[in-house]
Amino acid sequence: MMNQVGDGGGEPGAASDSNSGLNHVVDVGQGHASLYPSTSGQQSWPSSTGPTVSWNFYRTNSGLTESGTPSSSGYHYGQGEMAGSGNAQGGVNSASHASASTNVVAATATQQYAGYTPYPSATTPYGYSNTQYQSYYYGYQQPDNDSSSQQVGANQNSGAAYQPLSSFQNSAGSYVHPTSYLGTYYNTGDHQTTAGYENSNYNYQTNWWNNGNCGSYPPHLYPSYTSSDTNSTQSSSAVSTNSLPYQQQYNQWTYYYSQSAPVVSCAPRTENTSLTIGCSVEGGSGGYPYPSNQPPPPGTTSWRKDTGSSGLPSLQEKKDVTAYPSNGSGGVGAPTFQNHHINQMPLYFQKPTDSTPLPHENHEDQQKLLYSQSPRLPLSSTNHVPENSQSPFQAIPVSETRRVSKLQIPTNPRIASNLAVGMPKIDKESSTTNAALKPAYISVSVPKPNIKSSSQDDAEAIIKGTFPPSLRAYVERTFSRCKDDAQRSANQKMMKEVITKASADATLFTRNWDIEPLFPLPSTSLDMVEQNNLQSSVPISSLRRRNKSRWEPVAEENLVDKQPSITSDSVNVASWDHFEGTGRAAESKKYESKEGGCNGVRLFSSPQQTLLSKFAQRPVKKPRLGDFPNAIENGDGSSDSDKEQDLTKYYSSAIALANSPEEKRRREHRSRRFEKVQGNQVESKCHGPNIAGPGSIYTRRASAMILAKNLEDGCSRAVEDIDWDALTVKGTCQEIEKRYLRLTSAPDPATVRTEEVLEKALQMVQTSRKGYSYKCDQLKSIRQDLTVQRIRNVLTVKVYETHARLALEAGDLPEFNQCQSQLKRLYAEGIEGCHMEFSAYNLLCAILHSNSKRDLLSSMTRLSNEAKDDEAVKHALAVRSAVSSGNYVQFFRLYKAAPNLNTCLMDLFVEKMRFEAVKCMSKSYRPTVPVAYIARVLRFSRAVSSENCEDKGKDGLVECEEWLRAHGAILTIDNNGELQLDSKVSSSSLYIPEPEAAVAHGDASLAVDDFLTRAL
Amino acid sequence: MALHLSMGEAHRRIAEYLARFSDAVSSQDGSALKSLIFVSSNSFYLLALADALNVFQDSSRLVNQTDKYSQLGEILIPYFRCLQSIRIGRFVDAYVAFEKAANAFLQEFRNWETGWAMEAMHTVALEIRVLAERADRELASSGKNPEKLQGAGSFLMKVFGALAGKGPKRVGALYVTCQLFKIYFKLGTVHLCRSVIRSIETARIFDFEEFPTRDKVTYMYYTGRLEVFNENFLAADQKLMYALMHCNPRSKDNIRMILKYLIPVKLSIGILPKMELLEKYNLPEYMDVVNALKRGDLRLLRGALRDYEDRFLRSGVYLVLEKLELQVYQRLVKKIYIIQKQKDPSKAHQVKLEVIVKALKWLEMDMDVDEVECIMAILIYKNLIKGYFAHKSKVVVLSKQDPFPRLNGKPVNS
Repeated sequence: MMNQVGDGGGEPGAASDSNSGLNHVVDVGQGHASLYPSTSGQQSWPSSTGPTVSWNFYRTNSGLTESGTPSSSGYHYGQGEMAGSGNAQGGVNSASHASASTNVVAATATQQYAGYTPYPSATTPYGYSNTQYQSYYYGYQQPDNDSSSQQVGANQNSGAAYQPLSSFQNSAGSYVHPTSYLGTYYNTGDHQTTAGYENSNYNYQTNWWNNGNCGSYPPHLYPSYTSSDTNSTQSSSAVSTNSLPYQQQYNQWTYYYSQSAPVVSCAPRTENTSLTIGCSVEGGSGGYPYPSNQPPPPGTTSWRKDTGSSGLPSLQEKKDVTAYPSNGSGGVGAPTFQNHHINQMPLYFQKPTDSTPLPHENHEDQQKLLYSQSPRLPLSSTNHVPENSQSPFQAIPVSETRRVSKLQIPTNPRIASNLAVGMPKIDKESSTTNAALKPAYISVSVPKPNIKSSSQDDAEAIIKGTFPPSLRAYVERTFSRCKDDAQRSANQKMMKEVITKASADATLFTRNWDIEPLFPLPSTSLDMVEQNNLQSSVPISSLRRRNKSRWEPVAEENLVDKQPSITSDSVNVASWDHFEGTGRAAESKKYESKEGGCNGVRLFSSPQQTLLSKFAQRPVKKPRLGDFPNAIENGDGSSDSDKEQDLTKYYSSAIALANSPEEKRRREHRSRRFEKVQGNQVESKCHGPNIAGPGSIYTRRASAMILAKNLEDGCSRAVEDIDWDALTVKGTCQEIEKRYLRLTSAPDPATVRTEEVLEKALQMVQTSRKGYSYKCDQLKSIRQDLTVQRIRNVLTVKVYETHARLALEAGDLPEFNQCQSQLKRLYAEGIEGCHMEFSAYNLLCAILHSNSKRDLLSSMTRLSNEAKDDEAVKHALAVRSAVSSGNYVQFFRLYKAAPNLNTCLMDLFVEKMRFEAVKCMSKSYRPTVPVAYIARVLRFSRAVSSENCEDKGKDGLVECEEWLRAHGAILTIDNNGELQLDSKVSSSSLYIPEPEAAVAHGDASLAVDDFLTRAL
Repeated sequence: MALHLSMGEAHRRIAEYLARFSDAVSSQDGSALKSLIFVSSNSFYLLALADALNVFQDSSRLVNQTDKYSQLGEILIPYFRCLQSIRIGRFVDAYVAFEKAANAFLQEFRNWETGWAMEAMHTVALEIRVLAERADRELASSGKNPEKLQGAGSFLMKVFGALAGKGPKRVGALYVTCQLFKIYFKLGTVHLCRSVIRSIETARIFDFEEFPTRDKVTYMYYTGRLEVFNENFLAADQKLMYALMHCNPRSKDNIRMILKYLIPVKLSIGILPKMELLEKYNLPEYMDVVNALKRGDLRLLRGALRDYEDRFLRSGVYLVLEKLELQVYQRLVKKIYIIQKQKDPSKAHQVKLEVIVKALKWLEMDMDVDEVECIMAILIYKNLIKGYFAHKSKVVVLSKQDPFPRLNGKPVNS
């Protein structure tokens, strides 16, 4: 921890420098400098970007800024030492600080904000920044953070939410910060203007904290704590900020603090209470309080792990103190709170990302901070602007109010979600709800950091080298859960076991680590760990996952990519980008636009954004990984997930068959294929599947998809098909009769008939005397059973042939076409059947139904010599010839002599052919054509040659007469009393009547009456 | 040969090739570049390079060593692999490598503002098609799914996209279109031609005549064939005639290919070729068809269709030729009419159905009265005979003026 802190300190300095540079630039643009030269720049940042921006700047600025840097740095160190607790508090504080910083900024806090921002740079940074800010507010903010996370309480929601994020991240660093912050807070509280300076100091500290914290603590803390805490805090803070005025904001801060404890609700509204609450919160945060407060547990664990539990308490205390101070400054602080809130919003988003980075490494942490900062920056910018303009506290409030209103609006959406979640939250609930919102951020960041920071080095090395990213995320997650060294070591062991098992199983790469409960191995151990951490980690993670998926996908990606480049400055930038990407940016922009003073912020924001984007990307990804597992655990799975689970049950047996390593590998590969394509979809699904557990295919797939998504490595696994063989159902049903029902889920073996039964069923259908609709229904169910069992043999061909013939007889062309296309495939596989008969049908179809000569040509080209000798095929070819030449005599002769069911297909063409024929006759014959001749040539009577020739001939005559009249022909009776077609007159009067049976949709079989009878 | 190749020599050859390639690109020498990637030219130079590559396996290192080469590495490295694979007869591998190189080349080509590398681009388009065909043959012979030509088709669509827009590169679009036609016709996915044709023919900014003649002829040939499929004889006639008129008279094979489709089209609109033409371009399958039309010999026509059924089916003119039957009937009735006229001009315009049936019997066409009556009705209906049919007396009554109108370049009414 110490080392980290030290590093952090070093890094912060750098960060601050860079930030300061940025700030200065910003300042120049904004002209904020007027109030506070150094700060002004910072202020401008904040103003433009809103709190978040300001935060980042603050950090840097703070460093730069005369005032606080030194002191803050000192704080930082102290905080760093405070380590876990300090950080945690700091995190909380940082959140609050952030808000405070924003406030300060508003006042003149910009500098402070800048300092804060640096904090944000790492996720911890937020915490730091928050803490710093909080230092003014810190107390407030920190409490908020802690409380918010814990309380989730609406109070914190708005402001807290942001802060919480920061706090979470910060939590590691924040704890330390809190102490410093406390000091600052006091100062701030006392002197808001000074506070700005102080803030700057704080910021520095926060930065330091961030660095240190980020490196070690943040990850752990974040994972577990952040998830729940951050979420809760974020949501709560956001909410509260939105709803509450400045005072409210203050309250919120307090709330946050208070939130940490149940008190939150009370605290939020009353400033005093809030302060007190803040204290309480801080206590909670001190718990990092989480332990004490619900959020604390996870947080505490993480904190403790990272920084050591001992450190945390002190930090907490400090935080508490800070919180009080903040109360003192409350009046002034309120505005800041608002700002903070705004900032917080961004921070949250960022934080998640940040949190992820933190776990990884210091750099990552920094990145995270940056991320977090970036969000803050935008927020702060808005805040700052007003603040800057108003330099004094009073002024700040005004601006803040404005800002707040504006900010609130933007934040509201986020908050709203958070609030909804967070409101209910007391400790756990709130945390969970919050977590849901924040989860993505937190979870991601946390798991990774934890892993890396803790024992993880070994694990990390291994993982990084050869393990899939998802697995790494896993490891990180597990570690993040660990509260102390003992847990870590235990966790490590567990991890090793799991990994070795997985590698032995060959599931190492196939498994959906993201989905895996914090490590399958650990199931017990994990549970233990989880328990220790308190559900927070899991729930949080789940929440986080959700949040991420909904909110942060873009941002996460960005974060991941950019993380490597993490400098505090760069981090800040990244955060900007993230914000923008996530929509926070948009919010920040809105804020800016709303606030007149924001212009400067905007300027800053753009560069920052670019930087931030880089950093932000990495964090995002990590968070996701963590989130996924959590999501799984949550079991929030949608209905889909439930379904999937069901399915998994179905398949579980089948899967069991193929659980050998090779199989698994194959499946993994296959599932990976889908990952890229379905990545997004998978995410949503994953939540459900996770519950199902590693065994289910769905989970695997989902996990695989997640992995694919998450894995930047782009470890493109060979795509393989799902092992459908293993999924093939073996029917057990013995019922011969079965109604057809289109499957909407995986088939139940109990309702699928065996092949023998299906054979009997086919016979039953063939000998049945019932109507076509019944037979069709039965055949379809037989086909379905064959399909789900993947039976493709002579029986299959028989079934399809039977159905095709029945369909032809009934004139059910759609069904016939289905069967025909299946038969084509079956014949192509070399399965015996009435190939010739059906190629004749195919030919007839091509002639009769398609206008494409090419289709016809290609079917003709494909005919083998053997086929051309076949009676049915010959007939079909002759029909084709008759049709193409319009030779109706030939056609109806062929119609009469058609083998098999060729007649049925020709039926479909008869009407057209007759009409053409009559048209032709009426044009070429003069003066008349005997109807008897027409009836004979066009086969209006069925049996010309039979004994009943005359009767039928007469029947045909009548039929023909009716037909002719129906088609507009003019008939006359000649001297002999014979009916004649007056060709000359008719040639111009022929028409094709509207078919009476026509249905609007063109398919008579879909007619309502028919449908109803079928349904019966 | 490869065995005798020393490492140094191999290195020298590769280095020289790299230098030439790089020079061609930097000096924007399209024809030089073309010769360097004209794989199927089987030039000694490329063969020697392939040998050198097989000896000197680490050619990619050579490419990456020098900056100006490594810029082209995306093209060169897979291209080298392609050459190697071709040399050892592994065309699937060669195709895969070439596709990579081609994609990289296309990328570069897009960035070159002028069309200086058009020749090379065309060579790439040609090579990828040829290689895909060879790869498909290899795949088919090993029982795998031949899909490379399809892949080449989609690559060429990309090339087409890069060329078909406005600008100086548009001139090259027609060549790619023709390569695409070749692929689509070979794959039997002719419907895919439509989108390409549309973008060629609807573009007002670019006059079709500005395309190179070679491409115009090929394009007209393929679009003419498409019209034959659609039995759109007038359009087919126009396009194929364009192709014939602009085709280089010395490339007899190309002319023969055009005539294979143009002759059925011309027959359908009543224009018969001279026998010398069929002999000159070695199209014996049409001789009987033409003779049948001249003589009204249905048996001859059916015999020709039977004898050359496979060929006609494959080229897609079977259905077109089959429809010539009506013209043969017309010719037969006309002959009877002429004979009757010689005997008794006053009654010549009344042709008894039984006479026609008898005439067909002589031709060994066993058709009864009903069927012949039907055919007469159709002839009248389709305006191949002017007149009417008296059912009661079973007589075709011909118009006294021009009873057998000539098609005169118009298709039979249908």
